Amino acid sequence: MTMKQPPIHRRRLLLGLAALPLAAAPAARAAIGGLPSNTGHTDTSPEWEQLRGKIFGTRPISATSGRVQMIAPLRAAYGASVPVKIVSQLPQTPELYVKRMYVLVDKNPSPLAATLELTPEIGQADFETRLRVDEYSHVRVVSELSNGELHMDSRYVKTSGGCSAPPNRDSPELIGRTVFKLPEPPKMNAPTTADITVIHPNDTGFELNNVTVMFIPSYFVRTIAVSYAGRKIFDADLDFSISENPTWRFNFVPHAPGELRAEVEDSKERHYTGRLAVG
Amino acid sequence: MTRMHSRLLRSARVAAIAGFIALFAAAANALGLPPAYAPMVVEPAIVAGRSEFDLGPALARAKREKKRLYVYLGASDCPYCRRYENFLGKNSEELVPHFRPWIVVDLRSTLSTTADKLAIRVGDSVLNYTEFQRSIGDQRARMLVYPSVWLFDTQLKPLMQMPAGNGTFETVDEQLEILNLVQ
Repeated sequence: MTMKQPPIHRRRLLLGLAALPLAAAPAARAAIGGLPSNTGHTDTSPEWEQLRGKIFGTRPISATSGRVQMIAPLRAAYGASVPVKIVSQLPQTPELYVKRMYVLVDKNPSPLAATLELTPEIGQADFETRLRVDEYSHVRVVSELSNGELHMDSRYVKTSGGCSAPPNRDSPELIGRTVFKLPEPPKMNAPTTADITVIHPNDTGFELNNVTVMFIPSYFVRTIAVSYAGRKIFDADLDFSISENPTWRFNFVPHAPGELRAEVEDSKERHYTGRLAVG
Repeated sequence: MTRMHSRLLRSARVAAIAGFIALFAAAANALGLPPAYAPMVVEPAIVAGRSEFDLGPALARAKREKKRLYVYLGASDCPYCRRYENFLGKNSEELVPHFRPWIVVDLRSTLSTTADKLAIRVGDSVLNYTEFQRSIGDQRARMLVYPSVWLFDTQLKPLMQMPAGNGTFETVDEQLEILNLVQ
């Protein structure tokens, strides 16, 4: 299988997003006590309005269809590692399936945390991962179906300091180690759950080294391409808004014994591979 | 009055004013949770170089009074702790009634008391910070952050996963979210 190249257009998009003139955004409302008033889980935000236009243009996005659900705690134990779960209320069939998913954290310095390209081979488009959430923010998922429809769900998460929490650098020699796990035995011809973890600091570039008092350069996993028995399951285009040691729980449908394989590339264009024999 | 007496008097006045200012400043930044919350203050016993906090008496009282436990771990040299304590102090009139179903416990620590130097005792069981967090299924096992709050029932079962640090509940509404176990 070929490795998906780091999409230049995405990087340009991110740079563009980082330079968004927030002054042009709708004014943020403040509640008594200084907290924003758009803290409802399904509320919009000035950042989201800008992102929406940049990524989706004027395409309609349904936020009430219930086709996709974002599950996240109101307050996570650590802002650097907020567990999120995405649940799709739609089986992946060749006729109609979730083709792409966008995971966003409105207020992060780089708000587009992940773009997932999916195939019907995934069986059920449910995912779990951990996000860095820098400050009080909505986290969103937008599902793009194969018929072009866009569906969204969001949760408001209260946290702070996620992007500056110290990453674990105990074992730099393990960086890039890519491990699959099956929480349960595989089920042939049915969605089977798997976890993939890449050992990686996923440095944001916003953290100070306490010894050198210099910012640690950003260094993160940029892409993960997962296949089973040579057939694409999903490609993930990622960012440092994913927590250190990026982990994804996903599904795939094994039709016969085969190999789960992941091709990983980080922002220093280093390549790593993970494999697991299944069945 | 001689010039010297006058100077001494002026110095005494300045010293008195400075003393009052210092006193008020100290009161504003008083250590620990405000008295209005009637906290059970728990000072650590130093055992084998570790600070050991005994939750036994608070738990016994919670069972006796059928109340929940609001356990606060603060450090004497932690500005974020002072900020939270001052927030509680400033809003005590509004918040204290909502704390009535709770027994507030104030564990007094220092920033130098890191995870490996902090232990929790309940009866005969003494666990270090990480072991204790794992034993109750708390996700904050990985890193000790000051200040920290735990919410327990009378069986020392956590009522809700709490965040590391208190920065997300330093408004009255958000403190009430915590007390009402809004997740």
